[in-house]
Amino acid sequence: MQTNTTETQFIKTLRTALGIGQESAGARAAKIFTDPKDPSPEQAAIVKTIKSRRDKDHMALLHHLSREAVPLNLNVIPVKDKAQVSKAIANLVKETGPEWGAKKSVVQWDHPLVNALDLKTALKDQNVPVHTAAFDTTGMDDLTRSKARDRVRRQMIDSYIGVTSADFCLADTATLVMKSRPKEARAVSLLPSIHVAVIGKEQMLTNLKELYALLKYDPETREAELLPHHMTLISGPSKTADIELVMVHGAHGPRKLYLYVITG
Amino acid sequence: MSHDAATKKYAQNAASAIKDEILQKALNKIQSGLGKATALSYQNLDEGPDLRLAAHDIREKTINNLDVVLTRLAAKIRENGGRVYFARTGEQAVEYCLKIARQHHVKQVVKGKSMVTEEIRLNPAFEARGIEVNETDLGEYIIQLAGEKPSHIIAPAAHKTRQQVGRLFERKLGVPYTEDPPELTRIARKALREKFLTADMGISGCNLACAQTGHITVVSNEGNIRMATTLPKVHVAIMGMERVVPNLEDHDILFRLLSRGAAAQKLGGCVSYIGGPAGPEFPDGPEEFHLVILDNGRSRILADPKFREILCCIRCSACLNVCPVYGKIGGHAYDATYCGPIGAVLTPLMEGMNQAKDLCLGESLCGACQQACSVNIDLPRMLLELRYRLAYGDDQWETQPVSVAEKTIHQAWAFLAGHPALYRAFLRTFALGQKIFPTSRGMITKMPGPGAGWTRSRDIQPLSQTPFRKRFKKLNAKKAHG
Ligand code: SF4
Repeated sequence: MQTNTTETQFIKTLRTALGIGQESAGARAAKIFTDPKDPSPEQAAIVKTIKSRRDKDHMALLHHLSREAVPLNLNVIPVKDKAQVSKAIANLVKETGPEWGAKKSVVQWDHPLVNALDLKTALKDQNVPVHTAAFDTTGMDDLTRSKARDRVRRQMIDSYIGVTSADFCLADTATLVMKSRPKEARAVSLLPSIHVAVIGKEQMLTNLKELYALLKYDPETREAELLPHHMTLISGPSKTADIELVMVHGAHGPRKLYLYVITG
Repeated sequence: MSHDAATKKYAQNAASAIKDEILQKALNKIQSGLGKATALSYQNLDEGPDLRLAAHDIREKTINNLDVVLTRLAAKIRENGGRVYFARTGEQAVEYCLKIARQHHVKQVVKGKSMVTEEIRLNPAFEARGIEVNETDLGEYIIQLAGEKPSHIIAPAAHKTRQQVGRLFERKLGVPYTEDPPELTRIARKALREKFLTADMGISGCNLACAQTGHITVVSNEGNIRMATTLPKVHVAIMGMERVVPNLEDHDILFRLLSRGAAAQKLGGCVSYIGGPAGPEFPDGPEEFHLVILDNGRSRILADPKFREILCCIRCSACLNVCPVYGKIGGHAYDATYCGPIGAVLTPLMEGMNQAKDLCLGESLCGACQQACSVNIDLPRMLLELRYRLAYGDDQWETQPVSVAEKTIHQAWAFLAGHPALYRAFLRTFALGQKIFPTSRGMITKMPGPGAGWTRSRDIQPLSQTPFRKRFKKLNAKKAHG
């Protein structure tokens, strides 16, 4: 195979340049890669800290997040329960208008927490449609699938508010962490002008280090799901300083980002 | 271009940059703002600024084991359904990208900001085949509309004023003139949204891959790279072969330093981890993902132990923001893909030491770059090493020893230094002889012959009439008496 010859040659060139042989490759690999099943004491301690967190620790993280979110233009809104979120979103829809088209519509993930908001009902009296950007592909042929993809894409383009959840939120950098899953279309948090995310406070982590420790060294997290082919970190809405270093929000993607944290 | 022509061009570019008031103001703004903020952001790291040293170790370890690290990365990505292509040269990389474009009948490409695609001159190759290429980073978009080249690694349009951008948009996009940055951003947002939605292919670089998990990561604050790597059906990422770390915990350290070095941020605004295509069960995301791993002269650098360290670079651009030379002459004067201190080391190594020698000769060796570097690369050492190879000649890098005359002068000097009596006589004669040169405020302002090069742009201190040797003796005598 063409690819493989080039790869072999490429790697061989590297070895020649480094002055090392292939024989040592195995041993060197064992040394340079850390083993997910054998965390260092530091990494093990991080996982333990995360797992031992209680309500008050999560509240403290939420507090930290609220502070860090301000300069990033991320609106963090702690709420008691889901009903408050539905109400807040209904209000948001009432008070804002679409950026591109004339008609208001909302698009959301097929996700337990988002579904539980029952946005269809919440937006019924305003007559605003709510689309769910997902479809079941089992048994679908290619053509039907590609048509379904096109339909979902159209919905995401047309909707001006996208509602998602997230896997984690990193307090220290005000970062939403979203792994890609079949029912959670990536563009729901990308194409609409407003992104609304809803999480529970127990999804709070401190920083990137904690996230990585959890993803790599926590057996429970790993068993549930390995890192998928795609993951996104979002720290506040899009911004640019490319014209005279003047900070402007909303270059591409959502111009506003609301994060509701359910404190329960 | 001959060497002399290159030197002349460098000098001319630098001279006109220094006269360009707009550019000087922009450079000042970058350096006084970003340069200082970055230094402070290292201080504020949880682990303290020494994290840079740990990061350097990680980078070194990676580079020294690049064969196993890249093998793992490629295997993982293939496992995830992605395709990996190893390109020895820039042409091979471009050819591969074009092949994919042909397979998918691509008419329009959206790009995330990527220096490596500048390096391999990807855009012109696509355009020559009638494929429209759209830069989507606002700065790059401005530069592309203006038909220019980026002047800074992460702030490519820093040399343009809002008025210039306003007139450019008016002319190229047919919109009413405005010089309001938010309004200009909105205009670009609208124009580019159309492009994102119709593009058949997305092309990005790679900020830092993680071999163990098999992902590349790409960062942007604007969100444009997320658009370019999510919406089109095909995504091709191109990475310099050194832009990788082994483990997630390494990625954490390097990534945080990259964000700080680049923009004094704790974390880049929008980060995508990409390890393969979106499978058939996913409602969106590219259905094909290709990663091109590029050598293009890097293995030659790897083979030279004195220069290998430059492959630790993660292109954060922090060194540009503190360099006194970059701060005066700006990015364009370097006339190369990579500018500033990193460019001054990298360009001679990638494009030829002889052709690009002025870049390393032009830097000041002040050491500011190493202090600013997010991974503490010893750039000054390598600048000196380049000068050494240029002066003494090196077959590996095709340099010849410099002129016989210069060598003779150095030999004569060495001889003098080894013969004190002669040395003293020479200095005495010169101290007397120098009186014929014009002076101002005690400095010699003009010298003839080869000395003219020195005095053209600066004055030189005359030799003292009483040599230090004598004064030292006197001082000592005084001490002994007193
Ligand atoms: S040399 Fe250091 S400071 Fe300069 S771009 Fe590379 S990593 Fe950044």
